[in-house]
Amino acid sequence: MGKWRPRRDLAWYGRVATVNRNGTVTRGLDAGLIDELRAIVGADGVVSHSSELKVYECDGWTIEKSAPDLLVMPRSTEQTSAILSALWRRDVAFVPRGAGTGLSGGALPVEAPVMICTSRMNRILEIDLANRRVEVESGVVNLHVTNAVRGAGFFYAPDPSSQQACTIGGNIAENSGGPHTLKYGVTANHVLGVTLVLASGQIVELGGACEEPCGYDLVGAVVGAEGTVGIVTRATLRIMREPQAHRTLLATFAGAEAATRAVSAVIAAGIVPGAIEMMDRLIIRAVEEAFHVGLPADAGAVLIIELDGLAAALDEQAAAVTAIARSAGASEVRLARDEAERGALWKARKRAFGAVGRLAPNYATQDGVVPRTRLPEILRVISAVSTKYNLAIGNVFHAGDGNIHPIILYDERDPAQLRGAIDAGREILAACVTMGGSLTGEHGIGVEKQGEMPLLFSPDDLRAMTELRHVFDPRERSNPNKIIPRPGVCVEVAAPHRQVPV
Amino acid sequence: MTDSAEIAKRIASLIGGDHVRAPRGAEARAAAVIAQPADPAETAALVRMCEADAISLAPLGAARTLSEIRRAPAALGVSLARMARVIAYEPDDMTIVAQAGISVAQVNSAMAQSGQRMPVDPHEPELTSVGAMIAAHHAGPLRLSEGTARDLLIGIQFIGHGGAMIRSGGRVVKNVAGYDFMKLMNGSFGTLGIITEAAFKVRPIPEFYALAIASFDRAAGAFDVARSFANAAPLAHLEVTSPRMSVALGLAPTYWVLAGISGTRAEIDYLRGAIARASLAEVEFLAGDDARRMYCALRDCDFADWAIGAQLVVPPAALAGVLEACDAEFRAHAGSGIAQIITREPPAPDAARAIVARWRELARAARGHLRVLRAAPEIRDAIEFFDTPNHGALELMRAMKSAFDPVKIFNPGCFAGGI
Repeated sequence: MGKWRPRRDLAWYGRVATVNRNGTVTRGLDAGLIDELRAIVGADGVVSHSSELKVYECDGWTIEKSAPDLLVMPRSTEQTSAILSALWRRDVAFVPRGAGTGLSGGALPVEAPVMICTSRMNRILEIDLANRRVEVESGVVNLHVTNAVRGAGFFYAPDPSSQQACTIGGNIAENSGGPHTLKYGVTANHVLGVTLVLASGQIVELGGACEEPCGYDLVGAVVGAEGTVGIVTRATLRIMREPQAHRTLLATFAGAEAATRAVSAVIAAGIVPGAIEMMDRLIIRAVEEAFHVGLPADAGAVLIIELDGLAAALDEQAAAVTAIARSAGASEVRLARDEAERGALWKARKRAFGAVGRLAPNYATQDGVVPRTRLPEILRVISAVSTKYNLAIGNVFHAGDGNIHPIILYDERDPAQLRGAIDAGREILAACVTMGGSLTGEHGIGVEKQGEMPLLFSPDDLRAMTELRHVFDPRERSNPNKIIPRPGVCVEVAAPHRQVPV
Repeated sequence: MTDSAEIAKRIASLIGGDHVRAPRGAEARAAAVIAQPADPAETAALVRMCEADAISLAPLGAARTLSEIRRAPAALGVSLARMARVIAYEPDDMTIVAQAGISVAQVNSAMAQSGQRMPVDPHEPELTSVGAMIAAHHAGPLRLSEGTARDLLIGIQFIGHGGAMIRSGGRVVKNVAGYDFMKLMNGSFGTLGIITEAAFKVRPIPEFYALAIASFDRAAGAFDVARSFANAAPLAHLEVTSPRMSVALGLAPTYWVLAGISGTRAEIDYLRGAIARASLAEVEFLAGDDARRMYCALRDCDFADWAIGAQLVVPPAALAGVLEACDAEFRAHAGSGIAQIITREPPAPDAARAIVARWRELARAARGHLRVLRAAPEIRDAIEFFDTPNHGALELMRAMKSAFDPVKIFNPGCFAGGI
């Protein structure tokens, strides 16, 4: 196992070597700070034992690991502000974290000794059906928002696969998507206002309950900034009326290319489904073996196509989609007969990542985007990359958006496989960019893709982005060393890192 | 202070004498000299020239927005009339990339054959450039169902400080790589740079469109019915107009609800039924060309003849109450909490100031805000056009302005908080 190499040559501001009298290890932070933080949040809101901190050594990006020196769990905006003020005075950097389900290392501490977890700020503050708004604390779990308004016939549209665990704050940081963003948009389209605590500790209210902001759209700049502009503690979200009806279709194809051709044909026909999701052979088998949901186990690929809207129009649309899928080569198109069947299909889709865990000791989920019409082409690239590195790659993705998620299987105990997994991912991303696409559709840049940013953006673009970030956090104390690569520094991931308990 | 003739001469040396001219008509209230660069490189050269000598610069489409709100013309207007091409339209990807000088109507006519549209519908789309639509966040009735430029922009290019050409986003419909300048530039009124190119996701044009209209003697009755329509069915748009606005639409001088519905034949039939059932009042349905004509009139309602026009933004449920208290004529996007309001009579400057202050007070009491869209030249000095954000937000906005426009050349003094 290689040793963790700091990816930046910046000093760890505020770190000093401290061993407590009771034997607990609070590496690197002065005891005065820890006492001050305990006074703010209470003793149960501060975690300093390295064994407990190990849980926080990575998020869903598991290739790199680095535990924080200290974890602080505020219960309110005011506590968050007091914590950040204390850190700011000592020039200590921090990394915000929601549920740690992010997939690009956004919550990985990189020269940020203190982690601030928003999970105890988990109250739904106001449900305002007349204005179709809810106000929540940022630690509220995504699905809990929809659960709170479903009875009244509303839903919160962004629905990442991790929605049973991921938090609204994390969604805001990453500008999260999900299957239904095809029709309803990503998190940025559903956040109207935020309470933001700047790295300095200052509390600012941005946006509000209205459709248009007063002045610059700073909410738009905060959403998707990956926690580099401060910590969002509250948000006003837009909720939508649940569609009157759904038609969920499962179309079976001999191969993934035929399936993606059907996707283009549906879009070209002027039909905007709620979602179009694809799973290939490898994923179908894994899901079937794990959960027995009734997917055609011998299929080369399946599409889950969900139409929603007025019941009056859906049968006609479902018939049109069925005909399109068949002429693109679908051997079978099945309509979910009831809510139970529909639920089973979505369960299969959303648990696909979990099922993959059975196939190999480790897997890396990539996230890239191509123009929808280039999907067949990128699948050929993925297949060639799989052969080249001799690593199995499964595909489960938001086909309607052109947002691919190749899942690269590997065994981290074999350094060659690990290296291959990283290189294979990079090669696929480079191909996405060449096809006019993007490095990430919904997982963010984090630490994972900093090195690839210059493929997409010029030095001027990156400089402007840095300036934007500095407006909020001039000293780069909030989630430092993310998104923007430092000029002249080549980010190298040599090997995974496991924090050895002290 | 460099005078106009001197500025014109220097611009001619940068981009050619044919492409610098005197302002025409209303442009004169926005800028003293107009330059028409051919491409981003020439635009960048103009920005560098302006920065070198601290010459104020106003990015212009048809100059309709800034000519109504600038107290004094900027030294230079940069018109994007020569940067008006569609760069890439991919119907099967449902995306379009265009230069910012193209009009919204031209963008849409490029897509009409493929049955698609960029569904933001600002006032007079044949005069509204894509750059102006973004910079001034212009949108129309369809914002209820299709959103605004904020929701549809997937990529942007602008020329900023130092003449740097900055890109954010891209050409794909889903993309979270890097910081989001699309949102920041949207509604920035040219204060951070000159938007030169934009990419949008587009939508299919619905097969059918129809309009349900109903008349009321009182505003409250109209808003109650509008709400019941919105609860009964997903609408394409939902407006309420006050008596004098209604007259401009060719309707009787009462309060009218105008609810647009769109979709397939089956959807339209269902929606008509749902609206008819939801209404206690008599509803008339317009279809085909009649519906289309009324929609265009509604979208293009003219505010230019009025002494003061303003945009009120409040949470949707508060809109009816605030409008009643404002005691003004209006066109309200009832489902979105947004209304354009106008004074009934041209007031004296003192009275104008008082009217705007009162409207603003009412908007703020409802957790909203108010921006003045136009004021007659004789009362312009008396009026604060932009509302003031809260203190913390304003500090960040000022820092944003300093970061991206340190020389303060981009449309100075014409934004929230004096930015």
